[in-house]
Amino acid sequence: MATSFNRLPPQALHMITRNPTQSSKKLGFSTFLSCAPSVDSSFSRLSLNHSGSKFGLSLDTRVRKEFIVRAEDNAEAEPEEAAVDGIVDAEGNVEEVVEVGEAKSMRKPRIKLGDVMGILNKKAIEVSEKVRPVPEIRTGDIVEIKLEVPENRRRLSIYKGIVMSRQNAGIHTTIRIRRIIAGIGVEIVFPIYSPNIKEIKVMSHRKVRRARLYYLRDKLPRLSTFK
Amino acid sequence: MAAALASRFSRGRSLIGSLSNAFSGLMNSSNGIMNGNILSQQQQRTFIQMGTTLKVVDNSGAKEVKCIQSLKANKKGARLGDIIVGSVKEAIPKGKVKKGKVVYGVVVRAAMQKGRVDGSQVKFDDNAIVVVGIKEKKKKKPEENKKNKVEFNQPTGTRVFGPVPHEMRNKKQLKILALAQHMV
Repeated sequence: MATSFNRLPPQALHMITRNPTQSSKKLGFSTFLSCAPSVDSSFSRLSLNHSGSKFGLSLDTRVRKEFIVRAEDNAEAEPEEAAVDGIVDAEGNVEEVVEVGEAKSMRKPRIKLGDVMGILNKKAIEVSEKVRPVPEIRTGDIVEIKLEVPENRRRLSIYKGIVMSRQNAGIHTTIRIRRIIAGIGVEIVFPIYSPNIKEIKVMSHRKVRRARLYYLRDKLPRLSTFK
Repeated sequence: MAAALASRFSRGRSLIGSLSNAFSGLMNSSNGIMNGNILSQQQQRTFIQMGTTLKVVDNSGAKEVKCIQSLKANKKGARLGDIIVGSVKEAIPKGKVKKGKVVYGVVVRAAMQKGRVDGSQVKFDDNAIVVVGIKEKKKKKPEENKKNKVEFNQPTGTRVFGPVPHEMRNKKQLKILALAQHMV
């Protein structure tokens, strides 16, 4: 599963690491590592092995350091903050110190541990949306998906069908498409923010009064056939 | 992610369609326990194991096969793309494969969902195999017996019906892919 987002983490990394500083382009990770050893124990609860996370170990540690820096902005511990400021100053950004000072006085809201996954997911979705915007898809839509299959490198595979269900899970939001292909019903679950999907188009809509259309499995094949 | 995992375990047929109209009227009145009933009624699709009957979707002669053994090391059973050993339960009168024969087959369609590396999952409405070999009954001398290294690549039939998943490429069943009507 991690292989699917091989292309994603570098992009996401750029987005995430640029956010807190907004000025320095070359953030040496050595600075983070040097300033955060003592804070590691206090953040041990923020476990690296989020079961939901698809970004792998590396992204987690880098983002963790980012949050450590942000938490320090909120006047966690004096010497560490001075160390952060000092190190950031060494990068050559005077505006950075002023920004941190202003944030301290404006009382930026703390990021609670429970919000972390939500924020990560939102960021990852933003990154994916930049590459390819995803239309509004609901149960009952008849959609056409153009998929790039690595095995079938010649041309894009096209999947058409009715959306049976939509499971919202951040970056792994999936839709289940059903169609009768060559006489046999086939259901495929697609993660809509996957980089393999080149295009999603909503063809039409069928009025349904359910969120999950599992009843279609028992019904006549005619109801699941789409030209 | 947890939601997707949870939903995977509550797939399958709802049995409400099979109830008669009168009974469904009674069911509607008891809306309190509706949600619990629906979840417990969804079938959990599982592996292909000994006793599973599968359709045969080529023109080798067999029509229906009952699984005797799954050649995968997984003790739970076979999945999409695995080879199974089966006994032919039903066959057409003049075919290459006759009723009662023991055949090897590769599973081309499985009702159990198969995950792919890009995060997608595929499942079919039925279980189907393509016959790739017939088991010989004669006793061979031990040194001649090379059955351990036999690759089941060549389907016995010359046509394959219905859709075939991309998993066949990974399992080196390229002939089946070439014969397929439609690739999923």
